[in-house]
Amino acid sequence: MISGHYRVELSICGCLRLKLLETKLVELEAPAVLDKIRYFIMRALRNMRQWPLLCAASILTMAVALATVATFFLVVVNTEQLALRWTKEIQVIAYLQKAPDQQSLAGLTKKLKDIPEVETVQYVSQADAMKRFKKHLGEDASLLEGVNADLLPASFELGLQAQYRNQAGIASVIEQLENYLDVDDLRYGQQWLEKFNKFAQSLRFIGILLGGFLLFAALFIVSNTIKLTLYARRDELEIMALVGATMRFIQIPFMLEGAIQGVLGGVLSLAFLAISFVFILSPSLNSFWLTPTDFNLQFLSMNQQIIMVFSGVVLGVLGSLSSLRRFVRF
Amino acid sequence: MIQLYNVTKKYGGESAAVKDMTLQIGKGEFVYITGASGAGKTTLLRMLYAAERPTKGQILVDRKNISRIRSRQIPFLRRKVGVVFQDFKLLQSRTVFENVAFALEAQGKKRYEVSKKVYQALKEVGLEHRLQRKPLELSGGEQQRIAIARALVVDPLILLADEPSGNLDQEVTFEIMALFQQANARGTTVLLATHDHSLNQRFPRRVLTLDQGKLIGDQRPLQG
Ligand SMILES: Nc1ncnc2c1ncn2[C@@H]1O[C@H](COP(=O)(O)OP(=O)(O)OP(=O)(O)O)[C@@H](O)[C@H]1O
Ligand SMILES: [Mg+2]
Repeated sequence: MISGHYRVELSICGCLRLKLLETKLVELEAPAVLDKIRYFIMRALRNMRQWPLLCAASILTMAVALATVATFFLVVVNTEQLALRWTKEIQVIAYLQKAPDQQSLAGLTKKLKDIPEVETVQYVSQADAMKRFKKHLGEDASLLEGVNADLLPASFELGLQAQYRNQAGIASVIEQLENYLDVDDLRYGQQWLEKFNKFAQSLRFIGILLGGFLLFAALFIVSNTIKLTLYARRDELEIMALVGATMRFIQIPFMLEGAIQGVLGGVLSLAFLAISFVFILSPSLNSFWLTPTDFNLQFLSMNQQIIMVFSGVVLGVLGSLSSLRRFVRF
Repeated sequence: MIQLYNVTKKYGGESAAVKDMTLQIGKGEFVYITGASGAGKTTLLRMLYAAERPTKGQILVDRKNISRIRSRQIPFLRRKVGVVFQDFKLLQSRTVFENVAFALEAQGKKRYEVSKKVYQALKEVGLEHRLQRKPLELSGGEQQRIAIARALVVDPLILLADEPSGNLDQEVTFEIMALFQQANARGTTVLLATHDHSLNQRFPRRVLTLDQGKLIGDQRPLQG
């Protein structure tokens, strides 16, 4: 009917009239939408002010839950980082039967370097080996006086590329080594490597398991807290439904509230995390005897921090929505 | 306005709270629903605002069949039906004004419209001077008048009242009856569930009598 009306007016008064009608319609619509948005925001803020304790409880639970999961994440990430550092120490040491002469040394070094798994090649001459040994002995170095300088064998120390610091990589390197060198003895910490691999594997496994469990527990606690806060307001929800509010109209302020609480919870959790990082995590990891002194503990990156605040929002909104369904039944 | 055809409502397995009920209520009628405790008065009213769905039979409200109403349609039914309860169901944390405004806001009415209508509705129940009070600071009769203002502020087609004066003394009850009659005079269909026979004596209207879920009486006052 309305469109018919338009057409009649258009034919009488021309385009201009239609344009006018259109702008009028838009003007009428816009404030209504703005009005609604304002209403929802105001409602959400008022709810929070009306129930400060409930609101604080939600924010705090979310913050603690997020911080716990994130702390755990940091422990795993840093331990893994630490473990990676240790693997840097993995090297294959080939003790030579006979020290190579000056001319062949350069060629040999280059050949070794061309082994795809090898990252660094360090030649330790007999004299170097002696020097190191003396240093190691410290004050007792005088014991070595008069000992022949060629007592200790020369060796090549091969550092491996990160992705080959494992048994397969080492085996392959050794196989190729034997083509080039007259090797007297090989050292590569076989047992240590096996142990380390098992450790790294179980670390990851425990990490995923515990992290998943923590995440689940956090979700459970947060959704229950929100449920509790809604339970306290079930009259309001019931009356809203009674006076003809649609599901969406009921949901939106609570979702907004959840989102606001989520942002606050996320930011607060970052603060918690920073505190636990400075006062608990880094002293305990740093006091760990295997931690190299120059090891830099990692905090969450900027992106990860944003993700954390965002998870707070998702947590708040989903928590509110899922709990609302329990209290608003049509 | 309201039609029931062979409506039965069972909760759980056992006997029915409303049994094979058929009745018609016209636009603008004022009807008492009486019967002993447990007769099914509340159940009948709850089905009319779709808080319950009938187990069997058809219910029509304003020519729409609501017996199998979809959840998302329920809000629109409730905008046509105002409900008043024995326990008022007011929000204690909000002011009188906010309680009444709530009903309009829930329907997405604009702000300037809301304040004007709320003021009018409160004036009609004689509480326009209590706007900023909280419900608990008021007497039971005043609280029920706020609840009535909230039900009427949206100009409902139908007003359902479940023992609205159950907790109130006689004088206050009569005040409230006067409000229902005003609304009725403006064309709202009123259904009032009550134990109180003195109401019908004082304000004689059509009476539906229920017993164990059955409609056993339908009397109209003699036209005089
Ligand atoms: N939610 C429910 N679940 C199970 N049974 C119910 C429920 N509500 C009511 N009933 C039963 O249905 C029957 C009718 O109850 P209803 O509340 O409709 O009676 P009533 O006439 O309103 O009683 P009263 O005068 O005491 O308010 C009763 O036997 C009651 O036990
Ligand atoms: Mg009842």
